[in-house]
Amino acid sequence: MASFIQLMVSGLATGAIYALIAIGFTLLWQTSQTINFAQGEFVMLPAFFVLAAMNMGAPYWLAALIGIALSVVILGVLFKAVIVDPMIRHGVLPLVITTIALSLFLKESVKDFYSSQAQPFPALVAPRDLHFLGAVVSLQSIVVLAVAVATVIGLHLLLNKTRLGRCMQATAQNPTVARILGIPVGRMVLYTFLINGALVAIASLLISPIYLAKFTNGEALGMAAFIAAIIGGFNQVRGAILGGIILGVLDNLSAAYLSSSYRGAFPLVILIAVILFRPQGLLGRVEERAV
Amino acid sequence: MKRFGPLSVAVAAAAAIGLPFLLKPFGVYLISMWAVLTIAAIGLNLTLGYAGQVSMAQGAFVGIGAYTVALLTAAGWPFFPAFILGGALCFVIGWLLGYPALRVQHHYLAFVTLAFNTLVFLVLRNEEWLTRGSYGIAGTDRPSLFGLSTDNARVFYFLCLAILILLSAATWWMLRSPWGRAFVALRENPIRALSLGLDTRRYTLMAFALGSTLGGLAGGLYAPLVQFIEPGSFSLNLSFNLLLMVIVGGSGRFFGPFVGALIAVLLPEWMRVAEGYYLIIYAMLVMVLMVFCPSGVIGLFEKAMKPKKPPAAPAAAAIKAEATPQ
Amino acid sequence: MTAVLEVNNLSKRFGGIVAVDNVSFTVNDGDILGIIGPNGSGKSTLFNCVLGQLLPSEGSVRIDGQESTGMRPCDLNRLGVSRTFQLLQVFPQLSVRDNLILAGQEHQGSMASRLFGRPDAGLGDAADQMIEFFRLTHLSDEQAGMLSYGQQKLLDAAMAFMAGPRLVLLDEPAGGVNLTMLGLLRERLQAYHAERKATFVVIEDQMEFVMALCTRVLVLAEGKIIAEGAPEEVRRNPAVIEAYLGH
Repeated sequence: MASFIQLMVSGLATGAIYALIAIGFTLLWQTSQTINFAQGEFVMLPAFFVLAAMNMGAPYWLAALIGIALSVVILGVLFKAVIVDPMIRHGVLPLVITTIALSLFLKESVKDFYSSQAQPFPALVAPRDLHFLGAVVSLQSIVVLAVAVATVIGLHLLLNKTRLGRCMQATAQNPTVARILGIPVGRMVLYTFLINGALVAIASLLISPIYLAKFTNGEALGMAAFIAAIIGGFNQVRGAILGGIILGVLDNLSAAYLSSSYRGAFPLVILIAVILFRPQGLLGRVEERAV
Repeated sequence: MKRFGPLSVAVAAAAAIGLPFLLKPFGVYLISMWAVLTIAAIGLNLTLGYAGQVSMAQGAFVGIGAYTVALLTAAGWPFFPAFILGGALCFVIGWLLGYPALRVQHHYLAFVTLAFNTLVFLVLRNEEWLTRGSYGIAGTDRPSLFGLSTDNARVFYFLCLAILILLSAATWWMLRSPWGRAFVALRENPIRALSLGLDTRRYTLMAFALGSTLGGLAGGLYAPLVQFIEPGSFSLNLSFNLLLMVIVGGSGRFFGPFVGALIAVLLPEWMRVAEGYYLIIYAMLVMVLMVFCPSGVIGLFEKAMKPKKPPAAPAAAAIKAEATPQ
Repeated sequence: MTAVLEVNNLSKRFGGIVAVDNVSFTVNDGDILGIIGPNGSGKSTLFNCVLGQLLPSEGSVRIDGQESTGMRPCDLNRLGVSRTFQLLQVFPQLSVRDNLILAGQEHQGSMASRLFGRPDAGLGDAADQMIEFFRLTHLSDEQAGMLSYGQQKLLDAAMAFMAGPRLVLLDEPAGGVNLTMLGLLRERLQAYHAERKATFVVIEDQMEFVMALCTRVLVLAEGKIIAEGAPEEVRRNPAVIEAYLGH
């Protein structure tokens, strides 16, 4: 029981990080039909911005802010302007190819220009264990969970409680109608790219202390984001949250209780099952198809 | 295709036959690899480029074919039956993988096939009793043909080339048969195709099965070519690379995979000077190409060859009739 | 003699909305039946139910006396039911000739014979004749996507005829076509009808086109049939005028 609680907490913490990545992923899909195959690398990269800033003498908090800012500019604005905008009129597939190439580009750049070794990354809090109902829970897990939940709540408030957020949602659901209603659709799409830039940076700050910062981190993270997004429902932010959490918890539980060699297969089997039997995802709505 | 004319095909054929006599052993190995990867890319081009079904699992089929040949020849089978069986196995598995395509399309299909690829990788890695896991299998024998051994790199290259020619001729035949037309119809407008009596379900499965078969056959040559296979060779990376080859060459164009595979094989070698940076440069080239010409290198050629201002109509028709080999 | 198409008590509901409400009619050999009605009257839904694109909530459809409710569109097509779509539905990257061969090839032989047989499935001559019939000869080798809108509409119709169908359902063939092309299209449809004794069902908003082409007209409003008869009769029917001008 004690270890179960431990696993649940660390599962929720990983799941919350997955959810952040998956939310960004679905937002891009919703507003611009971008399937970002480089999303995992987008999470890998900001950690190196932070490390670079710290190498130049910045304290952690400043480096973190710099990392987020750079991420918003490079992975948000530049990504949209240089890659998505010129590509989008060619359809979904060329853009998919381009993001695959981009993921290769980012990975190799980090490897060649920074390091191919895993880099230690500062945690938000000093390592300490908390005792809770007889279980030992690391403070770090709790803090990760708290930050991720706060981010999700903040995003939820932004999307649902502000005028800007509702405009963004309208854009995501039906750009044509949104345009007729006078919503500046182009700017709304840009905002979702900015939000994605911030989300991946936050996810990077949270996950890098656990996995260390390494150029290959993106592979597993990107896969987790796709799976979470699809399990939850590709067209729903709520779905991405649910999918991320399910995946994080399953990951931790299956690692503990199932054969570890097929640990990686478990989420994939769930993914295939969801796609075949409930392709709209657990919370998704069916995308109407015109005959 | 049509605009290339027989001349460029003749030049390419001469190069394919003449090159191995001019190249060092490593060069011969590279062009053999080109032939093998081209076969796999032709398969993916069939599934993706012609029939419009996104597959990110072609690498897994290369793996299945390679392991089939490596294991069976190690168990004493002769090469060719093992090679054919590898292809047949991939036909069946590819057919089954096509079923999800009947339910979901586009990005969902991409993810199903992506997941399938990773599952195959896990099985190859974990089922050590069968595949020897991450230790891999070394020393797959090269076949002998009518008593002639292909241990010599140059001879083995010609075997790969012969199989490539055979398979591309078969693909060419199929693409100009009603099946080819049906595959394109499937890509362009499945609903209309259905209303014209096309059994889109059967053609979709067939597109997957045939594309996968070519992947498996490529794998059957990969094992004796490289003589060492391990699960990591057939991970998602290979599928992504094959996808890049198809798109970079020109998806839905017959000679696209030939060009795409050539670039993928040669670029790293040409950029030896750039050392580790070649992947960065390759990735950048792909991105630039996609932004400016999503129809790939062949598309780029077509654009370049198209006259800016068409000449007077009858002359144009005459030129066109001349340039179109039927 | 049985009717070519027989629709019995067909209804289609989407949630609480009744799009087609208990509709019955028959189409006899050689008829050109026009189905008209204001927007949202259920014409397209009715069409899609007959053609197997949608499964009716109730009722049945028979082709030549054979029950066909719920058949897949490709099987229906091989029974001899062919259709055009409201929006353009040609295959833009295939040539005009290939579009036509494609439209007929699945009616020839088996899967295997289509692979190993002749590349044109033996339909080359038939395709050329159809191209000539629809006055597209000079465009035979063009990619269909390069044709003008009106030419694509002609090709679309030609494709529907390629397999020598028993029954052709035309969904707004005149929509968006300019007057010259419209005249040609109507004249060609009539010529085809006269030559081959084909049976048509036409959905159309453009009254003139329907009145000139059809032998019988059926008027739908709010999912129900409100009038049926010869074109002139229907035009004078007060219920029809009410349905178009009322509300």
